[in-house]
Parts: sequence; structure tokens; C-alpha cells
Amino acid sequence: MTTDCSLRVAIAEDSAILRDGLVQLLVDRGFTVTGAVGDPSALRSSVAQNPPDVAVIDIRMPPTFTDEGLRLALDLRARYEGLGILLFSQYIETRYAADLLADDAAGIGYLLKDRVADVSDFVEALERVAVGGTALDPEVVTQLMGATRRTDSLSVLTAREREVLALMAEGRSNAAIANALVVSEGAVEKHVANIFAKLDLPVSEKDHRRVLAVLRFLES
Amino acid sequence: MTPDQVAPEQTDDSSVRVRIRGRELSLAMTEEQVIRFKALVQHIWHQPFTKRVWSELAFFLLGSVLAGVGLAFVAMTMFAGLVLAITFFGLALLAFSLRIGRGVGGLERNLARNMLGEVVEDPQPFTNRPGFLGWLQSCLRDRVAWRAVGYLALKVPWSILGVFVAFSVWWDAFACLVHPLFGQGGGGPSVWGPVQKFFPGGDLHGFDSTSFIHEAAIFIFGGILFFAAPWVMRGFVNVDRLLIRSLLGPDPMATRVRSLEQARTHTVDASAATLRRIERDLHDGTQAQLVALAMRLGMAKEKLENDPEQVDLDRVRELVDAAHRGAKEAITELRDIARGIHPPALDIGLEGALATLAARSAVPTELTVDIAARPTPAIEAIAYFCVAELLANVAQHSHASRATVSCAQHGTWLRLVVRDDGTGGAQLSTVGSSSSGLAGLVDRVHAVDGHLYLVSPPGGPTVVTVDLPLAS
Repeated sequence: MTTDCSLRVAIAEDSAILRDGLVQLLVDRGFTVTGAVGDPSALRSSVAQNPPDVAVIDIRMPPTFTDEGLRLALDLRARYEGLGILLFSQYIETRYAADLLADDAAGIGYLLKDRVADVSDFVEALERVAVGGTALDPEVVTQLMGATRRTDSLSVLTAREREVLALMAEGRSNAAIANALVVSEGAVEKHVANIFAKLDLPVSEKDHRRVLAVLRFLES
Repeated sequence: MTPDQVAPEQTDDSSVRVRIRGRELSLAMTEEQVIRFKALVQHIWHQPFTKRVWSELAFFLLGSVLAGVGLAFVAMTMFAGLVLAITFFGLALLAFSLRIGRGVGGLERNLARNMLGEVVEDPQPFTNRPGFLGWLQSCLRDRVAWRAVGYLALKVPWSILGVFVAFSVWWDAFACLVHPLFGQGGGGPSVWGPVQKFFPGGDLHGFDSTSFIHEAAIFIFGGILFFAAPWVMRGFVNVDRLLIRSLLGPDPMATRVRSLEQARTHTVDASAATLRRIERDLHDGTQAQLVALAMRLGMAKEKLENDPEQVDLDRVRELVDAAHRGAKEAITELRDIARGIHPPALDIGLEGALATLAARSAVPTELTVDIAARPTPAIEAIAYFCVAELLANVAQHSHASRATVSCAQHGTWLRLVVRDDGTGGAQLSTVGSSSSGLAGLVDRVHAVDGHLYLVSPPGGPTVVTVDLPLAS
């Protein structure tokens, strides 16, 4: 169980059931919920009064139920430096991910709502975003890898290397990747080095810079 | 009070008395009839001097000349075209004559619009296909042009007859009216046209007008002709109006195609709106419900994975309890959404489905159903959704205490009437999204060539009538 009580979270989600559930879950896990609201403007004032470390934002919210959440996220990011944003949606739109990651992947998350069912994974992703990391839904990564024109480059990777690439793109650290694939961290480091060499990517120590490099490669 | 209990009011003041050869005839006329009779006399008296008569006359003359010239030109080019039809040039000439025909038809239509006030909608504009061959084909298959040529072919003989008859009436009126001026044996104009029958030889003196009475008779006859002339001409003009309306307006087939296209677009839009609504319901309702459910179960699972000694069983029970409640709510929501897609109640027939709706309605609702045969599934579904939506409106907006729903067969139509005793003021708002309330219903109903009528004065009551065709 996480004992990190210092993480402060604000929630904007128009479905009351889900909002209450999230509050319950986060409080249960020892987070501080600074605000739980149902529309963009309410979140704006909540963030202004009581700044959180990370904001969980539903994409479809009133009044038009289209991409209010995304626009709110971009706005908050421009205004509050270092504020983590976790976009939370029932669908994955690759274009939204591209908008969100346009200049930086630090402190950005984009997850399917379904992911809350695996509480630990969700909490881990939230914590990662709060401290300036990246959390992309596997669905986003699958879509990006499926849509990329660099298939010939990807084909030089081994199957295991491609798995590592996908997990890297989700924003996971080497330790988390090792954990997910049940291999040693050293093995993961070797795979990562191979991938960067094969795809001719600039090596970076920071996880979120690594994510950006991988995503740029997939999008180009 | 039924109509037969009302006795027509009849007073001596309002009856018209006519004295003929010393005997008084009393014509029983009600006051209203007297007023009408006076108005009619006045109408006839003023008619020859109204602007309308002169513009009709002008139209008749101008239109006839135009039609004559146009037809002559079209007929000539068309004949030449047909003769030369085996050559390319002949076809081109034929196409050209049809273009002229269309143009003359348009001129006639505008003439009628400006001079008679006969507003006929413009027909479909000429659509040209690319290339010379395309142009040729478009011209030859231009139904509007063929109809215009047909109009000219009918109008010209009709005009010739009309000009002859109308003018002879006017001329004869003039001849008869001026006859007394010339006195016995004097000159004066001769009559012609149909009136010649009465005056053999066309000479009024053949009538042997030897006495004052005969002069007077001729004068009165002229007066009658003078007042009758406008009506004779109007008869001819009215037939022309009929021709213009039926041949120079939009092609009925093309109009029908356009209205079907519109109906199809509406149907497509309506079904897209329905799908969107279902998606929204699923997204906001069931999906959120299930995510919350999975989240609670996930939390409970994690707690159970802890050291058995430390498990907070009360908390786990609470979570499972909430998840269980959520699952049941999700099931209810799914059932409602499924019912919105296709009401299962319709499987047992419209009557049963409507009975369920009436019973579920928040406002006490009385239902009468009188249908012999089952309508098609599409009509049944539309009827069902109409009643469902209308009853929902009654419950939400009308503040009514009672509602009635009737569903009856009228010939080949199914008529639904939903009535409430509420505050009224309902409107068919066409602004905003077409899926909203009544406007959405109108689209659904129009898609099957049905009609929706709304009567809802402020203060109520509101009556919505929906007619749906039973056979398409």
C-alpha cells in the first residue's frame, strides 16, 4: 500500500458514480483529493484555489460533451507549470494523444477509464504522472504502432524488443518494464540500448524524454 | 345545440319584395343573403372597369402573340430537326428548338406572374452535362422543355378561339349599345361573331327595329353583353392559368423525387441522431456504471490479497455491496436502452405495447385502440415512439392531470391522437438539434409520408394528431 500522503489530486468527471468511486479509491490509497467536480470551469476554480499535484480529467464533459477535457488540460498545462495531467476517457483518440504530447511528455497521462479496475496499475500511473513522468494507455501505443509508416524500421526489432518498445512508449521505467516482463533490469537495459541503436534514436536518461523520442519516431 | 334547432332568422325588413303585373312577390331572403346579393350585383356592375380585367386582357393578347411566335419558331426548327434527325445536325436543331421552347415557357410563366399574379414556382433549372454530346442529351431529355412545348401547342389554338370569342362579345356589345344613336335606317357598326345567329346577315336592321321597344331591347342586350364580356374572357384566361400551372411549373416527378430525397436525408439524419443518443446513454450510463463496478471489485480484490489477519472485512463487504448494487443498476439501464432501440412490447402488437406505455405513464392515461389489421413493423415502431415521446412530454411539460391516447384506423391511415388537459403552449421548435422532442418526431413521421399536427393554445389543452400511412 502506498503511504505517500503528500500527493494531492483534483478530479473533473461528469459521471457522479465514477467521480464518487474515484474519490473513494484515492482516499483509500492515501491520496488527498483537493476537489472533485463535474465540469471544466469548476475544475479551473478548484485548481486556482487549491493547487493539486495532478488533475484527473474526463475528456467528454459538459457543455458539448466532445473534447472539453482535452482543451481544459492544454489550458491548465500552459498556466500551471509542473501540474500533472491524467486524461481519462472511455475511448482512445490517437489525435488527442498527439495534441497532448505536442511539445512535452512530462507529467502527461492518457488512460482508458477501464484501467481503474486494476487499482495498483492505475495508482502507479497516477503517481508517475504526478512526479513528471508519462503514462500512456497500451491502447494508445498499439494504435500508434499500428498507424506508423516506419514498419520497415520496426521489423528489424525482435519480438521482445518490440514489447519493450511498447512498454517504454507507455512511459514505464526500466524497473517497471523488467517487472512487467519478468526479466532482470539489466536485460531490459540491454534491450533498450539495442532498440535505440537500431532505430537510431538519441539516447536519453530521463524516462519522459525517452517516451517522446519513441513517440516522435512512431509518428514521423 | 344541434344545427336543426336553429331557426333561420327571417324578418319582413330583410325580405325582398318584387312587384310584377300588380302582384307582389315576396322573396324570402335572410339578411345575410341580401347583403351577399347586393355585393354580387355590385361586383358585376364594377367588373368591366377593374384593373384586373384590363391586365387579363393585356396578358391574353401579349401571351397569345408570344406563344404564337414561339410555337411557330419551335415548330419550324423541330420539324426541320426531325427531318434531318438521321444526321447530327438534325439532333442539334431539335435540341436547340427545345431550348427555345423552355425559354418561351419561362417568358410565359413570368408574364402570368407579373400580369395575372399567378405565381407558379420555377421548374428545375436546366442541368447541362459536360461535352457537346452531354448537352445534346440533356436538351433532348429535358422534361421541363417538352412540357413547355406542349403548353405552347395547347395554348395557341386556345388563344385563337379565345380572342375570337371574347372580342366578338365586346364588339357586339359596342355595336348594340351604339345602335340607338344611329336611329332607324341609320348606319352603325354591324355585329359579328356568335351574335350573328340572332341577327341574320350581321345587320342589326335585319332585326326590324321599327319601334322604341326594339331599340331598347337591342340596347339592353348590348348592356348584358358588355357586363358578360369580362367573364367570358376570364373563362379563357382561367383555362390558360390551369395550363400554366400544370405544364410550366416544376415537373411533378422531379418534385416527388426531391421530396423523397429530402425524406431520405431526414431519415438518415434521424437514425444517426438515434445512434448518437444510444451511444450517449451507453457512455454516460452503463459504461460508467460498469467502470465503477470494476473499480470497486478491484479494490475489494486488493484488500483480500493482503495478509488474512489484517483484512478489513467490513470494508470489503461494503465494496462488494456497492458493486452488487451497481451491477443491478447497470442491468436496469441496459434494459431501458435496449427498449429504446426496439421495444420488446411491440412483439405482442401495437395495442399491447401502447397499453404498457399508457399504464407506465406518470399522468393517468386512458387508451382506446381500434385497428383491424396489424400495421407494418416500421409503422408500429413509429407509432409506438410517437406515443412514448408525447406521453413523456405530457408528463414533463404540460402539468396535466389526465391524458387520453387514441389509435384508430381511418381507411388507409392510422391516426394517433394524444390529448392532455395541461397548460398548452407546446411548440414545434425547428431550431436546435432536429432530434429534440417534437421536431424529431416530425422527422420520423415525415420519413414515411405521414403528418403531425399540433394544437396547443396557451392555457391548453394540447392535442397532437399523427397520421401514418398503413400501406406505402
